[in-house]
Amino acid sequence: MVTPPVKSSPSHSMEALARSAVDEAMARGADAADARLVRCAEERLVIQNGALKESDAPEDFGIAVRVFKDGAVGFAAAPGPYSAMQNAVSGLVRRCLASARDLAPLRRVPVRLAGRADACGTFATPVEEDPFMVPLEEKLDLLMRASERLGGRREVVSRLAGMSLRREEQWMATSEGGSTHQVLVRSGGRIEAIARARGVVERRSYPNALEGDFRSGGFEVVRALDLEGNAERVRDEAIALCHADICPPGQRTLILGGGQLALQIHESVGHPTELDRVLGEERDLAGGSFAAQTDPGSLEYGAACVSFVADSTVPGGLDTRGWDDDGVASGRFDIVRDGKLCAFQSGRISAGRAGAETSRSVSRAEGWYAPPIDRITNVSLAPGHGSLDDLLAETEDGAILADTIKTWSIDQERRNFQFTCEVGWEIRGGRRSRLLRLPTYQGSTLDFWKRCDRVTGPEEWRLWGVVNCGKGNPMQVAEMSHGAAPARFRGVQFVDVGSSVS
Amino acid sequence: MALLEEDHAFEIADAVLAASEADETEVTINCIEDRFVRFGHEGPTQSADRERYDLAVRVRFRDGEGFREAKASSGALDEASVLGALGRAEILARVASPDAGAAPLGGPVEVEGSAPSRPTQDHSFKEKAEWIEAALRRCEGESLHGGGLARTTVASRSIVNSAGRRVHGATSRAEFALTCADAGADAETVGGSASSVSVRCFVDQVDVEGVIEDAVTSAVRARGPADVEAGPMDVLLEPQAVAALMTFTSGMGFGARGFHEGSSFLTGRVGERIFSEHLSVADDPTHPDLRGLRFDGEGTPRGCHPLVSSGTVHGPVTDAFWAKQLGLANTGHSPQQPSTSGPSAGHLVVAEGDLSREELLDRLGDGLLVRQLHYVNVVEPRELVLTGMTRGGVFRVRGGQVGGAIGNLRFTQSLVDALGAIDGVGDRAVRVGSLMGGELVAPALLIRGFQFTSKARS
Repeated sequence: MVTPPVKSSPSHSMEALARSAVDEAMARGADAADARLVRCAEERLVIQNGALKESDAPEDFGIAVRVFKDGAVGFAAAPGPYSAMQNAVSGLVRRCLASARDLAPLRRVPVRLAGRADACGTFATPVEEDPFMVPLEEKLDLLMRASERLGGRREVVSRLAGMSLRREEQWMATSEGGSTHQVLVRSGGRIEAIARARGVVERRSYPNALEGDFRSGGFEVVRALDLEGNAERVRDEAIALCHADICPPGQRTLILGGGQLALQIHESVGHPTELDRVLGEERDLAGGSFAAQTDPGSLEYGAACVSFVADSTVPGGLDTRGWDDDGVASGRFDIVRDGKLCAFQSGRISAGRAGAETSRSVSRAEGWYAPPIDRITNVSLAPGHGSLDDLLAETEDGAILADTIKTWSIDQERRNFQFTCEVGWEIRGGRRSRLLRLPTYQGSTLDFWKRCDRVTGPEEWRLWGVVNCGKGNPMQVAEMSHGAAPARFRGVQFVDVGSSVS
Repeated sequence: MALLEEDHAFEIADAVLAASEADETEVTINCIEDRFVRFGHEGPTQSADRERYDLAVRVRFRDGEGFREAKASSGALDEASVLGALGRAEILARVASPDAGAAPLGGPVEVEGSAPSRPTQDHSFKEKAEWIEAALRRCEGESLHGGGLARTTVASRSIVNSAGRRVHGATSRAEFALTCADAGADAETVGGSASSVSVRCFVDQVDVEGVIEDAVTSAVRARGPADVEAGPMDVLLEPQAVAALMTFTSGMGFGARGFHEGSSFLTGRVGERIFSEHLSVADDPTHPDLRGLRFDGEGTPRGCHPLVSSGTVHGPVTDAFWAKQLGLANTGHSPQQPSTSGPSAGHLVVAEGDLSREELLDRLGDGLLVRQLHYVNVVEPRELVLTGMTRGGVFRVRGGQVGGAIGNLRFTQSLVDALGAIDGVGDRAVRVGSLMGGELVAPALLIRGFQFTSKARS
């Protein structure tokens, strides 16, 4: 094992340092202030083609101070160690206040914070097995066994097995008396095979593409993935995809697997319901939202079987924690209920601008280095009923079951999307039949969710972790989960990509 | 805090080398100072005045023909933090499986040094506020909602390894970006919207007035877009739109890993003319609009490297590992190692042509003028089939004259085919970035038969 990367921290001194920054800011004339000390440790291991190609153990520690002055916000941040942060506090406070004073005359409407940040307490992710205490040899053995099972066929040109383990500890103080301490742990991993045959190169991933799948929790999360047990299937599917037909274009029924649905939820529900996007404050890079501020309560977002719940308390969620980076307690609320839009995801600043009394606790920053912005929390599609097998059995011939994201694209108002999955199967006789590659479907958000006529039940529902959500300018990366069970959509448009691919 | 001077960085790195028990050790120190103000139509929304360090220690123990290798890093540069990173890297490397394909670390090299731009480093929030106020006032005058970014960044990188390599360099970057749009949820599909950006190496090169004028006039012109059905159309892509496409060639197209795996358009085609003869591309960190570091993630020197000459593609870019694997020269395109991502061409320069904007429009005849593309992503890597949306103003062109705006369209298009269908290249290349990351220098491109496949509001 690597020496425990985050040593037992003298919490009282961390809290005291955060508090001293806030007190100094208030003494120097801030209207409100908060300070966060954030310490992150990570371990990343990736076996590529049988050799350990990535083995990284980064640690990061720093302090961020934010002040509110004359209706503007100032933010300054500096790295550790503790002694360096102690020395930096006064300078950070002065720089925050100076920038807020310089920017205040530009504010057409003063920044107003909704609600209060006066919570005190501690929160820690429940962990069964500390991921940093598991011997390194055991971790590498787990990955190596999976990697070996991905090989053994000449068509495989690249095989990869990896895991990532992360621990973040945060101390926060606010000028409203808030004082919180959180320890957030998340773990996960993936395998991937790239095969080449007949001049075609295809990739297959498990449990999900991109970085894989993650949950809040310890090494028990990685063990539960059973990477080794899925490796041969993944390898064989990658090879089979090279021989498969390209998914034909046209309009037909689509059943999306949970992993793909998680991405669909993320892009077409998560982002368009972030309040800062709705208010137009993200328009310069990521874009706005088709949803208007007045839409909650009236906008038909989907079919009656479609409900989305935001929940930063759900066990296993990557955004499951005690408080957000505004210091507001986590919670659960409906975004869409029975097809109708109910609420947006907001932080204190966006909620204040929208005239709300409280925020929805979604304000988060990437580590200590960035100011908090509205981020998607754990947003999930509520389960319906029945198993996937039941759903396949009652679905007509010619429908497509597709899963695992390959590529994704959605417009700047989150209307027109086009997603390509790693794998598809044609449905014949109520079950999966012909394997298809490059299933590519295109739609418009509200129309698409209105085409949903069935969501499978709790036995199929699970959380899927997203660890690469980029937003903001400069870009910040955040993590969250989306719960989903496979669901069926009628009359979906499949795109012709075959004419561009040899 | 300031960026580390070369001597100071080398001193810290030498202390790590001295303490290392590994057969090979490499220390990389990255420093960054960053100031930005992001703004919306009601004024500044976020700002930051911040600095950051990252010290990475890469250690390697010999094992047969290869190495056991690992890396660890620290965001703090005090002795305990730095040696802690070394210790973690050594523990990881001792249990790592050996990589027989790994090449030894490279020895001493000469690279051209560079220093940060002091005016860029010292650019204040008050000065950024002046840029923003000018933009907001102009937008308000046209009843547009403005938003954007004013940012100045200086950064340095130092690499020292146990084979005697010692390189150090600094970069500077300044940006002013403005997006303006009509208010409301339909702003970009019913109302007018446009973006403009000036990204330069030095703050005094940033064309704030030009950005404001371009974004505001284009947004006004983009109001009331007409509905147009999707289908193949001839297009004149402005540099921002070109960047959104070309950035995908950096690693997936020109990188050695994709070449080896068969997922690159280069595989089996090196030396062939697969693009239009109008297209020439190089990777060039020495370009005056980029001024990148003159060494890669392993400290290997790099300069201008041709990738496409009059449509004919050259071999892939490499690093030490892939050069050894493929029996090619090391072109100096390594990411920070160890890494699975493979080499990439991060300083693309698409060569200017000889057509003025008017000449390009005239040659286009009837078609579309596309200012920007949004959320472009890869459907299929071998032919680089990409999908994405138009954004920030699409205008009909008739008889070489720019007419009214049309609604945003989605495209699904092989980039290999599109680059083969170039029929004209603009005579002015500029530095532009992409939502998906990366910046390059590109002119406008006239492309025949670009495949639009659906409408924003279908």
